[in-house]
Amino acid sequence: MTGIEAILHHNGFGMAAVGVTIVFTALVTLSLIISQLHKLLLVWEERETYINKARRMFSLLGPKEVRRAKNGEKQAKAKYIASIKESSRQFNILIQAMGEPFSLPELIRIAESLGIESPYAAVAHLIEGDLIIPDQKGFYLWNHEAYNSLSKRS
Amino acid sequence: MEMFLDFFSNTGFALADYRNLIMLGIGMLFIYLGIAKDYEPLLLVPIGFGILLGNIPVFKGLGLSIYESNSVLHYLYYGVTQGIYPPLIFMGIGAMTDFSTLLARPVLMLLGAAAQTGIFLTFLGALALGFAPNEAASIGIIGGADGPTAIFLTAKLAKELIGPIAVAAYSYMALVPVIQPPIMRLLTTRKERLIRMEEPRQVSKREKLIFPIIAVLLCCYTAPAALPLLGLLFLGNLLKEAVVTERLAQAARTSVIDTVTILLGMTVGASTQANVFLTSKSIGIFVLGALSFCIATAAGLLFAKIMNLFLKQKINPLLGAAGVSAVPDSARVVQMVGRAEDDTNFLLMHAMAPNVSGVIGSAVGAGILWSFIVG
Repeated sequence: MTGIEAILHHNGFGMAAVGVTIVFTALVTLSLIISQLHKLLLVWEERETYINKARRMFSLLGPKEVRRAKNGEKQAKAKYIASIKESSRQFNILIQAMGEPFSLPELIRIAESLGIESPYAAVAHLIEGDLIIPDQKGFYLWNHEAYNSLSKRS
Repeated sequence: MEMFLDFFSNTGFALADYRNLIMLGIGMLFIYLGIAKDYEPLLLVPIGFGILLGNIPVFKGLGLSIYESNSVLHYLYYGVTQGIYPPLIFMGIGAMTDFSTLLARPVLMLLGAAAQTGIFLTFLGALALGFAPNEAASIGIIGGADGPTAIFLTAKLAKELIGPIAVAAYSYMALVPVIQPPIMRLLTTRKERLIRMEEPRQVSKREKLIFPIIAVLLCCYTAPAALPLLGLLFLGNLLKEAVVTERLAQAARTSVIDTVTILLGMTVGASTQANVFLTSKSIGIFVLGALSFCIATAAGLLFAKIMNLFLKQKINPLLGAAGVSAVPDSARVVQMVGRAEDDTNFLLMHAMAPNVSGVIGSAVGAGILWSFIVG
């Protein structure tokens, strides 16, 4: 048997059509999944943020959890202020000795040589807290006003 | 003198006929193409040498021929007839393959699916020419341009055709740089060939790790018969991406695949004994195989053009030709044809996406045909 008759006899058209459809279905589904995979992974990596956002949105936090979260936030803030205070005290003395304006690499180099702990992070925190401000000429100045107000905070 | 004549009558010189000489010529051509022309030498040289071995006439009973159950070659051939070697080769391919470009641009996976149309159209053609469904399925799979897949399916459905189908599949794979470019030029305009692909996004390590697990589950749940091939393909890839199993990945992509390739190539070659190989069926298989390969290439190209009707960021339709799974040769051909138009247009990396999806697609296609015919 040959020709169309042979194809029909063996249900060839049906097999070919279903076969192509299955191949396409498998690969289209796979491509759809992998096109979303990196987005799903991003959500997974940022899950804490999303969970907190969702909790805030639906106010799912119970009173106990709210208190615990607030306490945690307070403790972290207090710790941060204490650390920035200590750094600012050390760097205030150092900058007075160096004179103003000063260059950041020089400040970090001297801080390192004096054994101040994590000088890069400390300087970054001081810049974030506006204790070290740029003089717009490529050097930096010590913000005495901000330092005094920080020192007065308990 | 009588002893001498008796001995002479049992030598290859006395037993050979013209068909053996034709096959020896084909074997030598394979070796020449592999060594001198650098066409798939890792396959053509062992296959060519195997053809020489298979066409040294031997008298029956000594356990020398590959078709005698007590011969060494027969034991080595067992890995082919039982479909053991192809999955091991797939494991090696998995351990070599980087799926980054596919993960970065999953839409290119559709080109790998489109190229598999060639398999099913040739299946219909073979049925129309009077081949039985199991033989037609084995012939159609040549269009997948994937030697191991073709051998695997033929071993399951039509063992007696392994020789011609394997030789046809590997010949066309080796001839990818000859067969594909004219079709690519015929079906695309110069403007289309000049299209530049946008830079793919960076793919994270975690994505590459998760992909083989998702892919094997999805594909094998859809087409369970693809499990031996895709299971080991993705195992190899997981071994590569896991990093902690680098030793195993290294073994899979070097010693395992190399050993299996030698055994598979040599035994497939040796199975092409003139009396088994030189038949009208073999000629039909070669003609249909070439047709299947051309249809697969054309289907990939045309599908890429159809996709461009809907895509904002157009893709270079030449990538469609890489949907046939001759890895990485068809991707190289895409690069070659693309660069012939514009020396600064680099398509190789992009062509690897449809190329590896073609490997997955042809394995799924083989699984489907196997389940249709056996089920």
